[in-house]
Amino acid sequence: MLFWKGCGQNVGAEASLARSAENTPLEYFGTYCFDCHDEETSKGDLNIESLLANQKSDLNIVFEHLISSRMPPANKDQPSAVERNRMLRWLAEREAERLPNEYRRLNRHEFVQSANDLLGVKLDLTSMIPEDRGTYNFDTDRRIQLTREMLGAYFHALDDMLEFALPSKGFLPERVWITNRIKDSHRTYNIYTRPFREGILFSWTRANNGNNYSFFYDDFVTPEKGWYELTFEAMKVGEFVGDASLMVYAGKYYYADDRPQPQRLLDVISLGEGELAPHSIRVFLNPGEIVSVHCYSRHNFRQQNGEEGIYIKQLKVQGPVFDQWPPKSYRQVFSGLPLKRPAREPEDALIPRSQLEAIGGRLVVSSFQEGMGKEKMLDGSNRSFWHTRFSPTLAEPPHYVILENPERRQIDGLSYSTWSGGNGNGQVKSYAIYVSEDGEEWGEPILAGDLEIRLANQQLIHFAESTSKPFIKFLVTDAFSLDGRSLASIGKLDVLTALSAQNVLLPVTVSSRSVSDLRLVIRRFAERAFSSQLSDEDLEPYFQVAMAVLEGGGDFVEATRLGLKAVLGSHRFLMVPGNHVNPSYETAAVLARVLWLSVPDQGLMKIAKTDQLVGSALDSEIERMLLDPRSDRMVRSLCRQWLDLRKFKEVTPSLKLYPLYDDLLNRYLPLETEAYLAALIRENRSVGHLIDSNFSFLNQRLAQHYGIEGVVGQRMRKVHFGPEVPRGGLLTMGSVLKVTADGFDTSPILRGAWISKRVAGNTLSPPPENVGEIESMPGEESLNLRGQIEQHKRSPSCYACHKSIDPYGFALESFDATGQWREHYRVKRPHKGTFQYRPSGYYRAGDPVDPSGDIFGTAFSDIFGLKKVLLADHKKVAYHFVKTFFEYANGYQPSLRQRLDLYAMIPNVAEQCRMKDLLAQTLIYSLGELQ
Amino acid sequence: MPDERLAGADPDLFLGRTAMMRSINRKDFLKFGLALPMALRSLGVRAVGESLPQAPPRRVIFVCSCLGFYEPYFFPREGRDLSSSEYLKNLSVLDKVTVFGNLFHPGMETSNHDSEKSFLTGTPSPESPTFVNGISLDQILARDLGGETRFPFLNFSIYDRGWGISWNDRGSAIPPMHDEEQIFEMLFGKEDLRAKKLKIQNDQMILDCLRRDMQALQQGGAPSGKLESYGLVVDELRARLKHEEFWMKTEKPSVDYSLSDDQEFSFSTKIRNLFDLAKLAFQTDSTRVITLSLDWIDGAIKVPGAVGGWHTLSHHGGKADTIAQLSKIEIDTLRHFNRFLSELDRVKEGDGTLLDHTTVVFGSNFGDASNHTCNNLPMIVAGGGYRHEGYRALQEPTPLCNLYLELLHHHGIGVDRFGSSQKDMGLLQV
Repeated sequence: MLFWKGCGQNVGAEASLARSAENTPLEYFGTYCFDCHDEETSKGDLNIESLLANQKSDLNIVFEHLISSRMPPANKDQPSAVERNRMLRWLAEREAERLPNEYRRLNRHEFVQSANDLLGVKLDLTSMIPEDRGTYNFDTDRRIQLTREMLGAYFHALDDMLEFALPSKGFLPERVWITNRIKDSHRTYNIYTRPFREGILFSWTRANNGNNYSFFYDDFVTPEKGWYELTFEAMKVGEFVGDASLMVYAGKYYYADDRPQPQRLLDVISLGEGELAPHSIRVFLNPGEIVSVHCYSRHNFRQQNGEEGIYIKQLKVQGPVFDQWPPKSYRQVFSGLPLKRPAREPEDALIPRSQLEAIGGRLVVSSFQEGMGKEKMLDGSNRSFWHTRFSPTLAEPPHYVILENPERRQIDGLSYSTWSGGNGNGQVKSYAIYVSEDGEEWGEPILAGDLEIRLANQQLIHFAESTSKPFIKFLVTDAFSLDGRSLASIGKLDVLTALSAQNVLLPVTVSSRSVSDLRLVIRRFAERAFSSQLSDEDLEPYFQVAMAVLEGGGDFVEATRLGLKAVLGSHRFLMVPGNHVNPSYETAAVLARVLWLSVPDQGLMKIAKTDQLVGSALDSEIERMLLDPRSDRMVRSLCRQWLDLRKFKEVTPSLKLYPLYDDLLNRYLPLETEAYLAALIRENRSVGHLIDSNFSFLNQRLAQHYGIEGVVGQRMRKVHFGPEVPRGGLLTMGSVLKVTADGFDTSPILRGAWISKRVAGNTLSPPPENVGEIESMPGEESLNLRGQIEQHKRSPSCYACHKSIDPYGFALESFDATGQWREHYRVKRPHKGTFQYRPSGYYRAGDPVDPSGDIFGTAFSDIFGLKKVLLADHKKVAYHFVKTFFEYANGYQPSLRQRLDLYAMIPNVAEQCRMKDLLAQTLIYSLGELQ
Repeated sequence: MPDERLAGADPDLFLGRTAMMRSINRKDFLKFGLALPMALRSLGVRAVGESLPQAPPRRVIFVCSCLGFYEPYFFPREGRDLSSSEYLKNLSVLDKVTVFGNLFHPGMETSNHDSEKSFLTGTPSPESPTFVNGISLDQILARDLGGETRFPFLNFSIYDRGWGISWNDRGSAIPPMHDEEQIFEMLFGKEDLRAKKLKIQNDQMILDCLRRDMQALQQGGAPSGKLESYGLVVDELRARLKHEEFWMKTEKPSVDYSLSDDQEFSFSTKIRNLFDLAKLAFQTDSTRVITLSLDWIDGAIKVPGAVGGWHTLSHHGGKADTIAQLSKIEIDTLRHFNRFLSELDRVKEGDGTLLDHTTVVFGSNFGDASNHTCNNLPMIVAGGGYRHEGYRALQEPTPLCNLYLELLHHHGIGVDRFGSSQKDMGLLQV
């Protein structure tokens, strides 16, 4: 594995030999470069002669062109390998030493992951902390420094994390909610659900504005943030082929004719073909969030009152759940100490149907029609309703409802909903409110007002002052009537009152007040956080701050919380690199940070303690860490930062041009890339797989998107395909194709620049600052971007760079802004009146796509050809990957000397040039550079 | 690089302890009921012993619209008269506005988007890999104006991207707040004071502990840059906690206002809300220094009459239909700006209005975003009680920092240089 070290030394040896040889490296430049790049010719605006004469000039581009054999061009005299090495070495030696910052701040992702691992919880508080990358490529950039605001943000996040892990008042009991009721939606949406067997049959819809409409479950509101288990007893109903997918969201409730509130997609359940069965997912929910579902299949778009769809018998919610009781956070932080805790068994949640029932109240009505009794106003649905009597005799007015409040609770107002359905008869137009001590003397109304008769939404009636009178009368003073009869009907009527939470918390305590126990707890936590061993003096401040609480009468857990907060606010934790008592601890800290975005685990700490984290132990630890699921975090970071997928969700594709783009694609496209990159590393695949391969990770939705048959269900799995499929490799992944487009059109320049910068690794002079850009306009008639790009060729200053950017993008013109294959461009067509979503969109076929191009003199006719061109030089792809990974791991770009070393470790045989090896070697090389 | 000369001028300015000292002054004021904000009165909240006369405080806000404005529509076509500007003719407080022509930052006549970083610092070459920014103008002002308010300064941006136009004295970006609800909560939300007091006490103990740990380490070895810079931050946070602790004795103001929640035009809504919050923060004297960065992303935005990528549109290349779309976005931004100015001008304060006591600087890092040029920056100064004179086109290209230096002087800060300034040109007469 360490063969490259030898190679590196060879390069050095040649360089030192060269000093005594006849030709100096400078003369080689004279021989091979100055023909074109001297004062007179300055081809490509590059005058190497004067660059070399100036000690301060930046020779990055000369170096990169030389090392990647792009220069001298193939039709000119080439330096021998030895000569080339000497030229490179010479450039590296004369490069002004540019030391990176010695330290940086732990970034927010590392901070959150480390704190989670240390505390034994999973709580993603990243969004509480400001984005910290700025304009740098990587979150690990050494220029990222601590400010007062960031330290404040970390302190703030720590309060929440510690309270979550070691809550001061205890944990919520575990409750079970079972519901088969969904909340009201607008009547135009009711047709997509209907009662079925013991539950509800859901059909599918996408609203007129293109949003997924969710149906919200009633009876469960998240009481406290934490992990919950959602179990849907559900099955697919219907004979259609393909999966029925249950998309589960969390968020705030909204009516369909409201502006949809943002919903969080929690997970997707594939139902398959089976019988009714429980399907469970474990999800994180925030206080106040409720659960909603959207049923997805492309086979029955908006089937009204359909016979096909998803039948959900019931939803069971259980939580907050812990894998163990007492929770892992306590077991980990207080390991070995006796824990005292009350029993915690799941118990049924009390689900009051209404607030009135919850405060022990009841309804009295002036009259009712058989089957339309008063209880229908409290059943949570506005599809069932109370109606005054009309048969056999018509009830005389006044029509009223009395809400009794025997416990004299404070009532702030009423909530009212029309009944959703019918012909409007009986809908209340205006009302008056009375209150009474005895239900007999009512006096003057305290309030009177009007109601909307066609609105499905809940309408709130706030009293000017709260009342605790035991009788409240809702008198109907006017109601709609088609035929002049006096009628009244109400979908829902309830009181508005503050329900006191009656949660008994379950505290977990440590049965110890021992000073040495406290010292042990703080020490164990701090040593792992700091990746070091601490002397008593080192530990003292952290111990003292906890001790002060204990001495002040606080309990053991409270004291620990303060001590841990100090540890996680310390420079030893927040400033990287930290302080380590031996090199192995430092190595352990680096490995954990780079591969896991975290702190070392017990295994690493154990090896570091005896300073054995070198040689084969180091190799096998890297191997182990890469196979550990925690390294998914690194893969995700690389996807977000190297491949720019952090911007993936910034752009929403046009619904007119790409009507089939949906939440499922938005969720799974980036996951494909993450799964693929993780597999390349873990399976140690050759580096060419970055460009092309015969497999990827797909589910049914992605396979549909890519036109690949035979993938059923939304579970991600490895799928192999034949050579006729253009997928495989990063370039043709939907995530990449989408992130390089603006949601309307594709730009070969942007996509070309993406490949050039992120995969091919062409080093270009920075773009001239004052140039206009060529951009197409959304949906413009017959845009021919390629024609405009031809302009680049006419301007020599553009062409110098764009000849190595644009052509890559041409090959990707075969893919639209969502990554789907296309033969023709789409030209947007206008819609009449207000936009109405339809699956066929609003477009017509435009010009055919021409995916051919020519890169560095090699012509290709399409994406297949381009991949071959890129694969031809595996060393270039590998070199770019190791440079990128070096920068990611170290927070600065490798110097020319380091690049030479990195280049030297790339095997000459493509098949031997493997991802995990390259990654591990770069990491070990970086560790060497630290010393 | 931070401006060395400036640093030399007033070392106290850079110690990061000013805020703490100011807060003690503030305490003395409070005893006599002197300094309770004027603006509380305008909200109908009566302050104790408010009868003593006082001069209204001076405030300042800087706004950077990061993709600039289409020049031919922005700048007036003739004379000094703003009514010949397509964009500005409809401003409702035209007599309290000056538009400057021919301002620029020397050393960055052209630039990429990194020029946003230097908008308020004037530090050249922001795109260089070795770039270290200087302190931004608002931060110098905040040290002087910030001690007497609950928040020494506020900085806002549209997106969570970690940097805006405020930069500290070590050239690090001060992450702006971007979530309107969080900002509102911070300014006006009710707090659990007991819990907060305990938390501040605990945090102070922790900071003491962290200081002790560093001292022990520093005694052991050579001075380390890492520890030094960390120590500064710890001290700054400690000063901040003191400041917060002091302000716990004063209840937060309450305002009758709700944020707009229009999801359809979320970009436009955001700008409107941030301007409203800025106004409320000034009106309640919660702060006297604000920056607002109207930053861009690649994605499409929607404003009334236009939908598309703001950035894509900004590279209009002179195409008429693109400019028509782009101008819809720019007009929308200016509509919110205009509303902000009129609202400030509607609040009576002392012998004038809130606008008269607030210097509003609104501009961009780009002169022409289509070509990425940064000469002739679109710069507006409004309010602040200056004698405004419509359009003021300067004869020569003039460093924007000359204007910035002058603003420092108008706020009683006696330095003789800021960024790339040459001199105070007396561009704004009081």
